[in-house]
Amino acid sequence: MKKLKLSTAIAAIAWATISTSQVVHAGEINIIMEEVPDYDIVAKLTDQFTEQNPGITVNFDAMPFDAMRDKIMTSSLAPSATYDVIIIDNPWTDEFARAGFLEPLDSLISSQDGYAYDDFVPALADISKVDGSIYGVPYYNYALGLIVRQDIFDSKGLAIPKSIEDYMSVVKSLTTDGMYGAAMQPQKGYKIMEEWKNWLYANGGELFDDAGNVIINNQAAIDALNQYIETHSQAAPPNSANWGFDEALRSVSSGKAATMLSYNWMLPALNAKGGMSGDLAGNFTLHEVPGGKSVLGLWSWGITANSDNKDDAWTFISWISSPEVAKQRAIMGGAPVRNSVMNSSEVWEKGYGKAYYTALADILDGSAPLSSGNNAEELIEIVGTELSAAVTGQKSVKEALDAAANGVERAIK
Amino acid sequence: MRYPLIITNAAQMHIKYKLILPLVFLLSGIMLYPFIFSLWLSLQDYRLTRINDVQFVGFENFGFIATDQSFLNAMGNTISFVASAVIFELILGLSLALLIQKLVIFKGLVRSILLAPMFITPIAVGLMFRFLLNSEIGIIPFYLLRVGVSLDWFGPELALFSIVLIDVWQWTPFMLLMFLAGLEALPKTPFEAARVDGAGRWLTFFSITLPMLRPVIVVALIIRALDAFKVFEYVFAITRGGPGNSTETIMYYIYQTGFRFFRMGEAAAASILLIIFILVFVILIVNLSRPKVIK
Repeated sequence: MKKLKLSTAIAAIAWATISTSQVVHAGEINIIMEEVPDYDIVAKLTDQFTEQNPGITVNFDAMPFDAMRDKIMTSSLAPSATYDVIIIDNPWTDEFARAGFLEPLDSLISSQDGYAYDDFVPALADISKVDGSIYGVPYYNYALGLIVRQDIFDSKGLAIPKSIEDYMSVVKSLTTDGMYGAAMQPQKGYKIMEEWKNWLYANGGELFDDAGNVIINNQAAIDALNQYIETHSQAAPPNSANWGFDEALRSVSSGKAATMLSYNWMLPALNAKGGMSGDLAGNFTLHEVPGGKSVLGLWSWGITANSDNKDDAWTFISWISSPEVAKQRAIMGGAPVRNSVMNSSEVWEKGYGKAYYTALADILDGSAPLSSGNNAEELIEIVGTELSAAVTGQKSVKEALDAAANGVERAIK
Repeated sequence: MRYPLIITNAAQMHIKYKLILPLVFLLSGIMLYPFIFSLWLSLQDYRLTRINDVQFVGFENFGFIATDQSFLNAMGNTISFVASAVIFELILGLSLALLIQKLVIFKGLVRSILLAPMFITPIAVGLMFRFLLNSEIGIIPFYLLRVGVSLDWFGPELALFSIVLIDVWQWTPFMLLMFLAGLEALPKTPFEAARVDGAGRWLTFFSITLPMLRPVIVVALIIRALDAFKVFEYVFAITRGGPGNSTETIMYYIYQTGFRFFRMGEAAAASILLIIFILVFVILIVNLSRPKVIK
C-alpha cells in the first residue's frame, strides 16, 4: 500500500513538472488582449500567421480592461513571463518601460525587412518612445472625434462647429424638449479627463508647460472647465453626472442627443444597418473635435523583458503590424494606425468609405496623447476625480483645479 | 483489565499545546506573516514599478495618509455607509423576523424567498443595480419618470444613499436570519406571564423581546458592521467612488492606492489605520452593549 502511495506521489510530481514545463517553451507565445472587437479581428487573422509559421503556437488570453494591468504587472514581476506579448495602453507606456517590464524594439524594427516603421502615424508611434528607445508598435488608435447627427445639422442649416465657442452655441440651440445637444461623459476618472482635455486643448491649455511645470490650474484650464460645466448643465441630458461611454453612446444612438465626443471608430458602428442606431443608421458623420486638437489614445504591441520567447514574440508582432496585414485588419473593421492604410483606395472601398478615413487622418494629424510620462494612470485618476467634483458642484472650479495640480505634482515625483 | 486513564496537570498542559500547534502554524502562515509583512511595507516607500528602489521612510506613510483629504473623506463616507446600512438592516430585519415568526402558512417559502439576495455575489448585485438604476437605460428611473419623479440615483446627492439601499437589499436577509433564530430560541414563559399580567404588544416587545434578544442583536450588529466596512464591490461596479469623491469608501481608496497607483507602502499604512479604527470600534460596541448590572 505504501509503495502504491509513493508511486502515485512520484507520478503526480512528474506530471506536474511536465505540465509546468509545457507552459513556456520555444515555439509558443502567450498574448494578453482586451476583449474588444479589434481583438476578434486579430484572432481571426492569426489563423493566417499560424499557417505561415507552423512552428509558433499563439495563445490569446482575452479579458476585460480592468483585469489587464494587474495581470501584466504580476507577469512582469515574475522571474519568467506569463505573457510574451502584451498590449500597452498609452498611459502605461512610460511607467512600464521605466520599470524595466518592456523590451526595447529599436534593433528588431530596424532589422525587419519591409516593415516600413515610418508609415505609422507619427503621433501614434511617438507614444511608445521613452528616453529615446521604442518600446511598442501601434496596434489600434482610439482618438476622439466629434460625432454628429448630420440629418439634424442639415435640416437646421447648421455648420459643423470648428471652435469650442461655436460648439457650445450649437449644442445649446439643439437642446429642446426631448432632444439634447451633447451626450457628455463626466464620469469620474478616465472618462471625464478624456473628454474635458479636448476642451483644454481648444483653450490652448495643457497639463505641463515646456519646462515640465504643472499648469493644470492656469487660466486656460479654468476657462475650459467653466465651459465644460456650462455645456453640461445647458445641453446635456439631465441626471447624467455619472455618465460614461455606454450611456452617452446609448443616448446618441437612440436619438436623444445630437452630438458626442467619442472614439472615431464608433462612427461605423453607429451607421451600421441593423445595428444599435436602428432607423438612424447612416445619419452620423465624423469630424475633428472643436478646436482641432484631439485627445489621442493608443494600444501598442510590446514584448515583455522577462519573456523567454522574444524572437517568436517579435515574429508575431512584426507580422500582425506589417503594412499588408494592417490593411487586412482595417478592411475587417480594425482601427487603422498606418498612413498607407488610411490612404488606400482598397481600404476605402472595402472598409468604411473614404470620408471616414480622411476624417480620421485629419483627427490624428492634430492629436496629442491623453497623458504621458511616469505614473500617467494615477495622474488621470487624480485630475478626473477633481473635474468630476467640480462638474457636480462639490468643489468650485478653482478649488478643484488647484487640488488637481497638487495631486499631479505628487503623482509624478 | 482496563486501567483508569489518569492524566496529570502537566501532561494535560502538554497535550493542550500540542493540539493547538497545527492551528498556530496555519494562522501564522495565513495571517501573522501577511500582517507582519504589511507592517514592514507600511514603513517603506514600496512601489510595484520601483521594486529595486524600496526605501525605508519610517512613519511618513502614516503621516501622509492621516492628513490626506481623500483618505479622511473615504473614512467619512465609510462610516456614514456603515451606520446607515446597518441601522436600516437592523430595523428591517427585526421587523421582518417578527412578522415571519407569526406566519402560520408558507413560513418556509417566505423565508427562502427573503433570504435569496444574500446568496448572490456582491459584484453581480452591483452590476444588476447599475443597470436597474441607470438614468439612461434603467427600468426604475423609467417608471419613476412616468409618474413624474426624476431622480439621479448616482448623482452627487443620492449616490451614497443608493449604495446603502443596495446593501440593505442584499444584507437585510442576514439580519432576518439571525433575529428569526434568536426569536425562536426565546423561552415562552416570560411572554405568557406578561400576557397574564395584561401587558400590551409594545410593552412586551420593549420590555421582554428586545432585552432578551440583546445578545443576538449585538452579534448581528458586529458581524454586519465589520462586513459593511469592507464595502468595495458595489462602488467598483457602479460609481468607482464618484461623482467626485462622494462614494469613495476606505476599501476602494486602499485598492486604488495599492493596485491602481502601485503605492503599496501607503496602501499598507491605510490598511493598518483601518485595522486600528475597527478594533476600537468593536471594543466600544461590545462595552456599550453590555447590560448594566444594578447593585
